[in-house]
Amino acid sequence: MGAEGAGPVPDTLKIVIAGGFGAGKTTLVSAVSEVESLHTEEVMTSESVGVDDLDGVEGKATTTVALDFGRITLDGSTVVYLFGTPGQRRFSFMWEELAEGALGAVVLADTRRLTDSFDVIDFFESRGVPFVVAVNCFDGQRTHRADDVRVALDVEDRVPLLLCDARDRDSVKEVLTELVSLVLRLELSGA
Amino acid sequence: MEAVPPGRDPGQEWPFESSLIRPYSLTGGRTRPSRSDFSMTSQVVAVPSVSREQVDPEVELILSLCARPVSVVEVASRSGFPLGVVRILLADLLDQGYVMVHTSNWERRRPDAGTLRSVLERIQQL
Repeated sequence: MGAEGAGPVPDTLKIVIAGGFGAGKTTLVSAVSEVESLHTEEVMTSESVGVDDLDGVEGKATTTVALDFGRITLDGSTVVYLFGTPGQRRFSFMWEELAEGALGAVVLADTRRLTDSFDVIDFFESRGVPFVVAVNCFDGQRTHRADDVRVALDVEDRVPLLLCDARDRDSVKEVLTELVSLVLRLELSGA
Repeated sequence: MEAVPPGRDPGQEWPFESSLIRPYSLTGGRTRPSRSDFSMTSQVVAVPSVSREQVDPEVELILSLCARPVSVVEVASRSGFPLGVVRILLADLLDQGYVMVHTSNWERRRPDAGTLRSVLERIQQL
């Protein structure tokens, strides 16, 4: 399709960045996005909200989830979106939507709260979404050994796991390269 | 039907109420779109030079944001409306023939190796 004069319509790819509160998702997205990290909100209302019942919207149980995202344009025809999503289970309704058709995911782990990553790792595994685990070393000191984190998170060897600094563009490039290389290997092996 | 206030610069951010009620009142209280054509990264573009009825200023804003192809999630971000509201309003606009939507095939299947290599190259250039 094409709207005359409106420019070509690009194809889009989606990469999910999942991590607990304060794990550095927005920082990671900002490190590589060509636009300042963008922000929107999704409001999840309980199923019981009546379609014609305006009064209900505010009164019913709602969960608001902040969604930060960034963009990397390949050329006019392809755009990669990076979506940061909270890693706690209560936000799993967003994982469902984000995982649908995603190229892959980065689980951004925070060594201070490793257990925050368990649920989302299970989720991506169960959905067959290719993912890598990136351990954000805030202090800039890689005091944690990747092997120790792997054991603590009980992540299989075939899942790439690396240490990173979400503030550092080169480090984030390394994480994304690891993920896309994984997807490429899967594609080439016919998996 | 609410008239567009005079002197409004199209595309300028409108001081909408931050309350949940206002966005959902635009949708008539609906919390789900009339169709499911829109993923977050679906590209939408306003159909040019279609004469249309007077629309709510919020809808006008959304249309102005889609003058060029743009993702659903960016429309949400730039308009300040929750994603769910934007999806409902865009579904209405699609029903009315005011916008077109394009969802990438890569939402349905993994991109080919050539595309993946292009992504890797682009990441290296960042």
